[in-house]
Amino acid sequence: MTRRRARGVAWNTLGLGVFVVMVFPVFWMISTAFKTDDQVNSFTPTWFSTTPTIRHFTEAIHRPFFWADVKNSVIVVLVTVVIAMALAFLAAIALAKYRFTGRKAFIVLMIGVQMLPATGLIIPLYVLLARYHEVNTLSGVIVTYLTFALPFSVWTLRGFIIGIPKDLEEAAMVDGSSRVGAFLRILLPLVAPGLVATSIFTFITSWNEYIFARILLNDQAKETVTLWLSFYLGTGRNTDYGGLMAASTLVAIPVVIFFLLVQRRIAFGLTAGAVRG
Amino acid sequence: MVAVLGAILGYPIYDLVRLSLQRYGLFELIQHHGVYVGLHNFGSVLHDAVFWHTLLRTIVFTAANVGLTMVIGTLLALLLVRISTWVRILLTAGLVLVWAMPQVVAVQVWTWMTNSENGVVNYILTELHFGNYFEHNWYVSPFSQLALVTTLVVWGALPFVAITIYAALSQVPHDLVEAAEIDGARPWRVFLDVTLPVIRPVLLILTSLSILWDFGVFTQPYLLIGQGHIVPANYLMGIYLFEQGYVKADFGRGAAISILMLAIVAALSVVYVRKMVRIGDVE
Repeated sequence: MTRRRARGVAWNTLGLGVFVVMVFPVFWMISTAFKTDDQVNSFTPTWFSTTPTIRHFTEAIHRPFFWADVKNSVIVVLVTVVIAMALAFLAAIALAKYRFTGRKAFIVLMIGVQMLPATGLIIPLYVLLARYHEVNTLSGVIVTYLTFALPFSVWTLRGFIIGIPKDLEEAAMVDGSSRVGAFLRILLPLVAPGLVATSIFTFITSWNEYIFARILLNDQAKETVTLWLSFYLGTGRNTDYGGLMAASTLVAIPVVIFFLLVQRRIAFGLTAGAVRG
Repeated sequence: MVAVLGAILGYPIYDLVRLSLQRYGLFELIQHHGVYVGLHNFGSVLHDAVFWHTLLRTIVFTAANVGLTMVIGTLLALLLVRISTWVRILLTAGLVLVWAMPQVVAVQVWTWMTNSENGVVNYILTELHFGNYFEHNWYVSPFSQLALVTTLVVWGALPFVAITIYAALSQVPHDLVEAAEIDGARPWRVFLDVTLPVIRPVLLILTSLSILWDFGVFTQPYLLIGQGHIVPANYLMGIYLFEQGYVKADFGRGAAISILMLAIVAALSVVYVRKMVRIGDVE
């Protein structure tokens, strides 16, 4: 019994050790953001600042283009989410409820596109958007993000719709509900959690996206906030790490909050099929 | 509806193939059409020594990253099963927090932690007596740079892998494990004969996904090594494509590189796609 106890303590200690190592970078980011410049630049690190300051945060938000780029990110994210949800919902219904020619080809295409590394598509998308004068515009970025948000959203929503028994919808129609009524009153509320989860996931990926924003946007006033952060250090010799960490924290906060809300669903969605298959 | 979606998703790929057969530079970009040159772009890429070196480097990089991610991820999942509830909740919360970190943010944190003047990594390694890392420069050689990128990529990928495997572990029948243990089977044998067969499908999917992600990785190496320090000696496939196609504005050649890259990735991920298609078909 004591041996088992000792083993339990050993495992728990190991678990705590892993926790410390994994979380350390996040802790270090937040901790640095609140330090004074002297503490940041010192050769001996200060683990916790006993004299925290929010000066780095106020400096970061007053940097040129911070608010303009936050606004750009918000526009891109919101428009992408709204369009993606509307289209993906309809496509998911078609895919889950109706058999049509080319259904299998469609599934292959959808999963295939999802599997392509984004890097592989920068060239054709850039040329295509240049042809329609959509380079260096937010609308061009939105169209690009849709090509990635749609397959994932359709696939995830399809899983939610399949879970709804057909009888429910039929019962509503037998009771005198129209097709639209059955859709609004039965299908929509049941799929709502799926819609929430998928939109948040789309929100996060669009907010975080880097490479397409990098090649499509080349005007500081039109950049997204992720790009803004990537250029933070610039080429100056004196690197302002306190400011960089404060800016990093600010960019990460919205993502972390939303991510915590849906993490379970997404983790499930990505592999649920795999486990069941 | 479906046709429209198919067109939206399929058109870039059609465009990619057409582009790869054309001479398409800045001039053609303004003119909006390229000049047909047959397989010239492919020939030029396949005769480029940098392409082959980059390919080899990327394969080694991918193997190292996927290997580390899967092995450590599995160990973490097994650890999650063994620890008491409160440690598990704490560790899971920590993993989810790491998972939520945007890549660009993580890169900036790495830059700060590993800077040669007063990076905390050098400090900790020195304090723990791993050697004298005072003012050690991690960005001095391609190997060291890519090793640093590996730590960043693996750190970011671990939460998803560990939590997914942990979920799969809950499907391992308890009595079977106990029976094996009573029969005197060693932990390693229990894992191989009882646990592994149950979680194999999940491991397969995760490995395929990791290969796809790591083979095409761009953001982490590009930003961590730093735009100004990207040279052919530390190219990975994604960066080679970016430099040759986009930066040099040789879009036809870039398209050829993309197709070669996509073909390699497609070959690597056939397992995953087939499995997912089967699921989509059955239901």
